[in-house]
Amino acid sequence: MTAAPILSITDVHKSYGTYPALKGVSLDVRPGEFIALVGPSGCGKTTLLKQVAGFEDTTSGTIRIEGQDMAGVPAALRPTSMVFQKLALFPHMTVAQNIGFPLKLRKVAPNVIATRVDDMIRLMELKPEYLKRYPKALSGGEQQRVALARSMISSPKLLLLDEPLSALDVKLKKVLQAELKRLHRSVGVTFVHVTHDLEEAMMLADRICVMRAGKILQLGEPADIYYRPADPFVAGFIGETNLMPITITGHNADHVTYTSNEIVDMQGSLPAALVAADVGQGPALMNVRPELIRRCDRDADVDCKLAATVTEVFTKGGTVQYRARSKHGLELAIEIQGTSHLPMQLGEDVWLGWAKKDMWVLKPGEA
Amino acid sequence: MDMEVSRSWREPELWVKALPSVILQTTCFLAPLVMTFLLTFQKTQNFQLNWTWNLATWTDVFSKPHYWTILGHTLAMAVACVVVCIVVAFPIAYGLATRFKRLDNEIKVLITFAFITDATLKTFGWVLFLDKKGAANYLLAHLGLPPDTVAFLFTDWATLLGMVYNLLPFAIFTIYLSIDNIDRSLILAAYDAGAGKFRAFWEVTLPLSRPGIWAGSVLIFLLGVGVFLEPKVLGGGKSPMSAELIRQTFETRVNWPLGAALTLVLMVVAIFVVLLFSRVAGMRRAGA
Amino acid sequence: MNHRFENALANVILYGSMAAVLVFFYVPIFTLIAFSFQEGRFLTLPFDGISLKWYGALFKSGPALNALWNSTLIATFATIIATIIGTMAAIVAVRYRFRGKRAFQGLAGAPLAFPQLLLGIVLLLWFSVLGRWFGFNTGIVTAIIGHIVYIAPFAMVIVAVQVYNFDPVLEDAARDCGASTWEVYRHVTIPLLWPGIFSAAIFAFLLSWGNFYITYSLAGSTRTIPTFIFSGIAVGSSPLYPAIATVVFVPGILLVILANRLRIRAAAVS
Repeated sequence: MTAAPILSITDVHKSYGTYPALKGVSLDVRPGEFIALVGPSGCGKTTLLKQVAGFEDTTSGTIRIEGQDMAGVPAALRPTSMVFQKLALFPHMTVAQNIGFPLKLRKVAPNVIATRVDDMIRLMELKPEYLKRYPKALSGGEQQRVALARSMISSPKLLLLDEPLSALDVKLKKVLQAELKRLHRSVGVTFVHVTHDLEEAMMLADRICVMRAGKILQLGEPADIYYRPADPFVAGFIGETNLMPITITGHNADHVTYTSNEIVDMQGSLPAALVAADVGQGPALMNVRPELIRRCDRDADVDCKLAATVTEVFTKGGTVQYRARSKHGLELAIEIQGTSHLPMQLGEDVWLGWAKKDMWVLKPGEA
Repeated sequence: MDMEVSRSWREPELWVKALPSVILQTTCFLAPLVMTFLLTFQKTQNFQLNWTWNLATWTDVFSKPHYWTILGHTLAMAVACVVVCIVVAFPIAYGLATRFKRLDNEIKVLITFAFITDATLKTFGWVLFLDKKGAANYLLAHLGLPPDTVAFLFTDWATLLGMVYNLLPFAIFTIYLSIDNIDRSLILAAYDAGAGKFRAFWEVTLPLSRPGIWAGSVLIFLLGVGVFLEPKVLGGGKSPMSAELIRQTFETRVNWPLGAALTLVLMVVAIFVVLLFSRVAGMRRAGA
Repeated sequence: MNHRFENALANVILYGSMAAVLVFFYVPIFTLIAFSFQEGRFLTLPFDGISLKWYGALFKSGPALNALWNSTLIATFATIIATIIGTMAAIVAVRYRFRGKRAFQGLAGAPLAFPQLLLGIVLLLWFSVLGRWFGFNTGIVTAIIGHIVYIAPFAMVIVAVQVYNFDPVLEDAARDCGASTWEVYRHVTIPLLWPGIFSAAIFAFLLSWGNFYITYSLAGSTRTIPTFIFSGIAVGSSPLYPAIATVVFVPGILLVILANRLRIRAAAVS
């Protein structure tokens, strides 16, 4: 089941002068998967992508594509294709010439090029009359498709996408995101997608790699990262969340005991499976997503509950978001699918509850 | 800017492209300048250059007030030229940058062409125009004015006219560039705050076009101290400027060391004046 | 009310001064063209008659044609070499970051602000001294070199504008598609920089063609059009010289219009 990785990044460091952009990054990408690199700006995701593409070399560490060490191999000779953030369509060439360019460089016969370009046009659902036009005459979304066509025509082993959708407006972005997904399924090429838009990453990727300050914080499937973040930063970065301080008092194979000055828990213990491996005794954080918290009665039989006062109410279309503050000043976010009757009012004192299966305990750290 | 990529001198991408310029300017610009400097310490005898080392030339230069009056005159003319050029160029550049949208290409072509044609041709044309029996007087006479109204050919005024004529495009170009670069929204903000057109111009446009004015001034000044065509042809050679003096020193008197020394003196003084003014202008900006 | 007055006043000043300056620029040019039609020997008004005879004389005049040939020869060589050097320098000056970049920019651009006559003189000294040692004289070759020194910075500045507008990511994209360094230049860089390069070449040609000071110092006894005319002014000229001027104007204005078209097209592509 586990095939050899198509891309193997091993302990890569990269420094620009004294500035360390990548501090020991290791990653194995499976053939045919769609992996997203996400993180705040400056985290090194684009740097890493450029090194895979061959535009820059590593300061140390190896990059292997299909087992071959890529050190010293220039971008032109690697089996990768990149879709640039600014698209980089050649303004002085027609759409057809742009798409066929990689093949022209490989000295493929013109009639073969023409056929392949037609294939690409059809794959990208572009109108054939665009072939003779210049990139300037096409809309943003169409240019995007031309860029993708040009990247795919040489049948690369790896398609590298550098925030290609970041400049598009919301509606167009959604359309093209669906396009990318469809493309990935039909063509089966490995996609490495760099983005700062987590929603995009969650939607498109088979696995997500969260990066920060030159290091990988967590690598896993979207659900994994969402519900079981490795550290507070990832937890907050992936989406809005609640991190509640607790103190771990005991640890055994099945259960972990804890105390908290706010959370009311009859049992005082949690299943060990819902606690991160690196959590030891002492302070920890309980992570509960806003949509998994509900209002409850004071005496309700829920796993955990605490008391708070509602401080803000935001209506976001079909959902309502609340902010609440507990007695000890803990700020909480709650999200409830909208009903015509708001379950909580501004300023109300309420009890909030959640199930243990919906939470995750992680070690405190930098957020 | 995001555009710059780092390259080291070891990469052919850099040195193949950069070396020709470096070699060219070092061998045919810097080296000659150095040579000129060295020459000032030599002597000529019987029209031959002797490689001896002495300060005779420099004592000559510093002891003859004649050279310095000419230098002073040259500097004065250059400064006058700068002032006139800037004053005239500014409305042109401003208009070109902010109005004339439809005709601006044609105007640019006209200005470029006028700029790029032979200086000799144009100066010659001015002579034909300004001469006592030239076109200007001819036309004015037909309008009933007394003949010889236009009689300033062969005076300093004609020289100034010629200098301004030849150097004006530099000022237009530099000022145009800096006005063109001004963010429109700054001016709109001034209007929004209640300023009228002139006020907005005075408070926003003018200060922001200072780099262009400064660049143009420096360029015109440095080029203006080196003219000899206009003083000779339009000024009649009656009020020589440094460049003419230098030329004579080389051609007529064949005194290369002296010519070299005078050349260097001119350049050094000119650069010194520029630095002096930039200090003054810089101080004003720091205080403002 | 006040605003409208201000507006009107501003317009009067701007349009008026533009018109005045344009007239000013073309006074000597039109004067020359007018005088080329003088029939008589002397350049005085009123004309003896209107004729084209001096244009005819021009084409029979050995020295004039010789000057024309020299001008063209020097301009051709100077243009090609200065444009190539200037283009390369422009790419380096705008695109790369390296040690000594400021010094490079200063060195490559210095002749721009240097008074031409002095440049000519300094080069004359240099070549004379070298000529003494290596046994050569000033002439066409030294004139060409002098032109190149003066013109290469202009070419650099003109191409630099084009390079500035050229997004280097296009070269990365070409390399990603599999292009070697040479192929990148051939398929992407040069085609996109071409309008700027061609404009620079046109300017270089015109600058060399019309150059007086440097040729005067460095061409020795060889004459080009500007030095030929200068000698003519000194001696006692005939309408032959205005005729030459007019003949020289025609390719000049055509080239300038061509350069402008290129500039527009270049701006449209980027």
